[in-house]
Amino acid sequence: MSARNPGTKLDLERISKVRVNTQAVLKRAQHIQGQKMPKNQWQAAWLLKAVACIDLTTLAGDDTPSNVHRLCLKAIQPVRCDLLRAVDMHDKGVTTAAVCVYPSRVADAVKSLKAANSSLPVASVATGFPAGQTPLETRLQEVRLAVADGATEIDIVINRTLALSGQWEAMYDEIRQFRQACGDSHMKTILAIGELGTFTNVYKASLVAMMAGSDFIKTSTGKESVNATYPVAIVMVRAIRDYFLCTGHKVGFKPAGGIRTAQESLVWLALIKEELGNDWLCPVLFRLGASSLLADIERQIYHHVTGQYAAYHELPMA
Amino acid sequence: MAGSTDKTVHDIFQSMEYGPAATSSAVTAQAWLDHHSRSLGLFIDGKFVRPADRQSRSLADSKGGNVCSTVCAAQDDVSQCASSAVKGHKAWGDLSCYQRAKVLLRSASVLGQHDLCVSELCELCEASCSPSSLVRLLQYYSSWAQLRDTLVANWTPLGVVAVIASDDCSLYSLMLKVLPALAMGNSVIVVPGRTSAPPALLLAQLLMGAGLPAGALNVLTGSDMSLGASVAQNASISSVTYSGNKQDGVSLCKATAGMGVPVSVSPNIGARCPFIIFESADIDSAVDAVLEAAFKKRREVHWVLCVQESVLDSVVARLRHRMAGMKCVALHSDGDRGLVDSAVQGAQQQGATLVQSCAAPPSGAQYPPTVLCGAAPSSPFVVNPPPGPLLPLMTFRSNTEAVALGNHSPHGQAASIWTEDLTLALEAAKSLSVGSVWVNSHSVSDPCLPVSGHKDSGTCTDGGQEGLYQFLRPSSSSCPPLPRSSPVFMDYSKFGTAASPAIIPDDSDPASAPKVYLQFVGGKPCKSVSGCSVAVQSPGGGSVLAYCPDGGRKDVRNAVEAAVKVQPGWMKKSPSARAQSLYALAKGLEAKRRDLAASINAQTGLSMDEADEEVELSIARLSDWAAYCDKVQGGTPPLPQCGSALSLPEALGVVGIVLPDNTPLLSMVTLLGAAVGNGNAVVMVPGQKYPLPALAFIQVLQSSDLPAGLVNIITGSRDQLTVALATHSVIKAIWYWGSAEGCQYLQYSCTSPLKTLRLSCQKEDGGKDWAQSHPALLEETWRSGVQWKSVWIPTA
Repeated sequence: MSARNPGTKLDLERISKVRVNTQAVLKRAQHIQGQKMPKNQWQAAWLLKAVACIDLTTLAGDDTPSNVHRLCLKAIQPVRCDLLRAVDMHDKGVTTAAVCVYPSRVADAVKSLKAANSSLPVASVATGFPAGQTPLETRLQEVRLAVADGATEIDIVINRTLALSGQWEAMYDEIRQFRQACGDSHMKTILAIGELGTFTNVYKASLVAMMAGSDFIKTSTGKESVNATYPVAIVMVRAIRDYFLCTGHKVGFKPAGGIRTAQESLVWLALIKEELGNDWLCPVLFRLGASSLLADIERQIYHHVTGQYAAYHELPMA
Repeated sequence: MAGSTDKTVHDIFQSMEYGPAATSSAVTAQAWLDHHSRSLGLFIDGKFVRPADRQSRSLADSKGGNVCSTVCAAQDDVSQCASSAVKGHKAWGDLSCYQRAKVLLRSASVLGQHDLCVSELCELCEASCSPSSLVRLLQYYSSWAQLRDTLVANWTPLGVVAVIASDDCSLYSLMLKVLPALAMGNSVIVVPGRTSAPPALLLAQLLMGAGLPAGALNVLTGSDMSLGASVAQNASISSVTYSGNKQDGVSLCKATAGMGVPVSVSPNIGARCPFIIFESADIDSAVDAVLEAAFKKRREVHWVLCVQESVLDSVVARLRHRMAGMKCVALHSDGDRGLVDSAVQGAQQQGATLVQSCAAPPSGAQYPPTVLCGAAPSSPFVVNPPPGPLLPLMTFRSNTEAVALGNHSPHGQAASIWTEDLTLALEAAKSLSVGSVWVNSHSVSDPCLPVSGHKDSGTCTDGGQEGLYQFLRPSSSSCPPLPRSSPVFMDYSKFGTAASPAIIPDDSDPASAPKVYLQFVGGKPCKSVSGCSVAVQSPGGGSVLAYCPDGGRKDVRNAVEAAVKVQPGWMKKSPSARAQSLYALAKGLEAKRRDLAASINAQTGLSMDEADEEVELSIARLSDWAAYCDKVQGGTPPLPQCGSALSLPEALGVVGIVLPDNTPLLSMVTLLGAAVGNGNAVVMVPGQKYPLPALAFIQVLQSSDLPAGLVNIITGSRDQLTVALATHSVIKAIWYWGSAEGCQYLQYSCTSPLKTLRLSCQKEDGGKDWAQSHPALLEETWRSGVQWKSVWIPTA
């Protein structure tokens, strides 16, 4: 595993030079979506890779210890064991990448996973999720508490007010402080692209987030009107590549929100493979934030193994 | 399949490879081929015919498997086909515009119904062409068929048009010629190349099924370019148009020289095109487009990547990152591999560094995508691009240098430029001497945009309304300017070498000594470089009326040099400024009308009244052209895609004009005004019989505000000067009135670089009536001085 991204100084000159041609990005996205996707065992393998990259998420007002517990156990055994055995993957440790919950539920998740003898990381959203419209001090405190409860990954949201008004220095400083508050926990920075206006702004915000030391940059909270779209993802992963070419540090990418079908997960993997290369196709550098996606992938794997289309009740629920 | 199925899920989970590309079974296309017993006949008179005892030519797919064979048409088939096409023209031409439009529109839906068969067949034959682009062509041209008599009134179809393609020509380029010809009411004989033959036959069948009359569209297949020439030889063909590689286009031009049939050429395969990335570009998107454009298996053009120095490192870093892991590209043959290897070796010896997706396999007909960094315009692999996925990369310092680098090529097909700076994009687009400029995009085409290959990349305009005129003639012109003939045997190297008779001093009466005229080069009246003169006979003959300079190669060279200096500035002037100059020229002519009339009277023997009328008409004609200047101005055609496009008329550059003999002043100002009004410079050769009015016109030119060198007049032996014009590469077009032999000479020799020819065989009885001023006739003349550029600016 490579070293964490330590961040760099804020390079405002580079940020001012960012240029994105919207139509070219849209065309590229169309091209990637139009590609032929893998079939047969290639499809099965890719789908399992998608499973291994899922941050299995529940972010609802009515979350309680019981449904968080179910979620954790599903994360440990995401695909029915007999199906995995059929493709000889039962002993390869296929789990999702993490579970992702609200800060108040971190302790529940940690407890459930510990009881199940799993070392699966627990991720927590923090910093006034989803709007980020709370005072900096409480947002920092939220991060510290989640870490103290045992979250090893923190999904922070950026302050859109700063990004939209071009106050990149202030945004950089805030993220820097979050990074400090995270300590050893990995930090994923949510850009909330649906509220950033232009692709150029998305690219700039991505660069600032990485310069400030994010381990991942993440598209959206799942609570905005526009979530993870392919064009915006292309802009973000190009920023990741830009940062990598300049500093040598690999920053991860996490699309989240609205990803529901197995087919979409294949397109996401293809997009990463095309733009960033195979290095990024692992949970260390790529995550899919999703909740219902796993059920559809499991059905597709069921179909690959049995040749039948499964009813939802045939597969264990989360 | 061995080696692919034994990969376990876990292996793939680790490697994350895509897996084997799904091979399309092409069931529908195979069934169609099987229905024809894998041997396709000729398509004549609305049906497939399979004449006995013909040679056949087989077509193999990329893996060497047999796709089908096609018949090699013989002379009998050509004549049968031609007579069917004549009948087809009658039947098709007798339909109303609406009926023709309906047939084409129905073809679009028939094609939509069978798009699977078409796309599979195209893929099998490696003539890739998406059915949706064909549907777009059909829909676009069906609307032109509908509106022909409304929007292009006063024009009639030519008759039977032969559309000839080289083996590597794409189906799309072929149909971009066939459909406008049909839409205008011509019948068409298609001579497709090897790869486009089966899809062309299938399309002919589909169009026939949509209600095209028998004979309106015929397809003849053959073994090589010689079939094209023998089709052109048939007397019922009115026009020949060609699409494909340059080499075959040249051999077609040479083979058809002297047949008395106009040949237009669109050599859209194999041109060298600049791909320019400015520092203000979205570099990631630009690099993405580079990879897409340069490393396709079927490349129609050779891209040369030009990158601004300040962003070179970031472009190369991204190329390196994105290219990692790209697969090798299949080459056509092992021979190609040798060429690629030696090109790469040569490049490395000159210090080029490689960016390669993977190491080249030791042998075999494949090669990894390779960028050759550190290329220069003089690198051998830039001058003569080898086949295969090689992309030279050059750097430039400034915007002006980028344009200079892009323009410094014999080709003028297309360019792709990348910048987010709109002003820079438009300035570069205007300065690049190419037919298509793609801003922040590449390789897109649409039939609504008129495109003329600049420089060596074409002699005609395809697409848009402008592209229709190559298949039309003015209704009022009675006969074609170039009558059908048989090529005569001639020694092209001897043409125009006969020496003019020497002028020796005689002891005639000094009072009646013939006047000595000067020619006009670079804005100055002067003698010829050789110092020799030729005698001009008086109208009745018998006596010498005057002496005028005996111009030759050197005079043409001087004139072109002067013209090239001022032409770009003249073209950049606003059309209204050019109009004012032409009005002033007309006024200047009016001031000297008595002199000119006297000169016409003395030279041609016309009465003073008749001469005066010719001057009057000439003044009116110049005013016509002055008024025209700001009227034909392109526009922004509506595109199916999102974004804007500009279609811009541009001057050809320097035009050589060999003037007709009759109505010497009127014919000269008609051609001069059309050329100069469009922004061209001219080198004119007055008719050998009546050169004096043109020389008398020099005084009018001298007092005009046209820049010195824009208009040059050189007298002397017509043949000798025709050769001089033909052998000067800067001259882009020649308008010629003269002998059939001269026409044949020009058709044969103006191929490298290609020149746009407008040929008229001059008849003894006078030929064209220059006093006519039908709108279509004027338009035709005006249009011959323009070439079209399209600029694409896609937006979100």
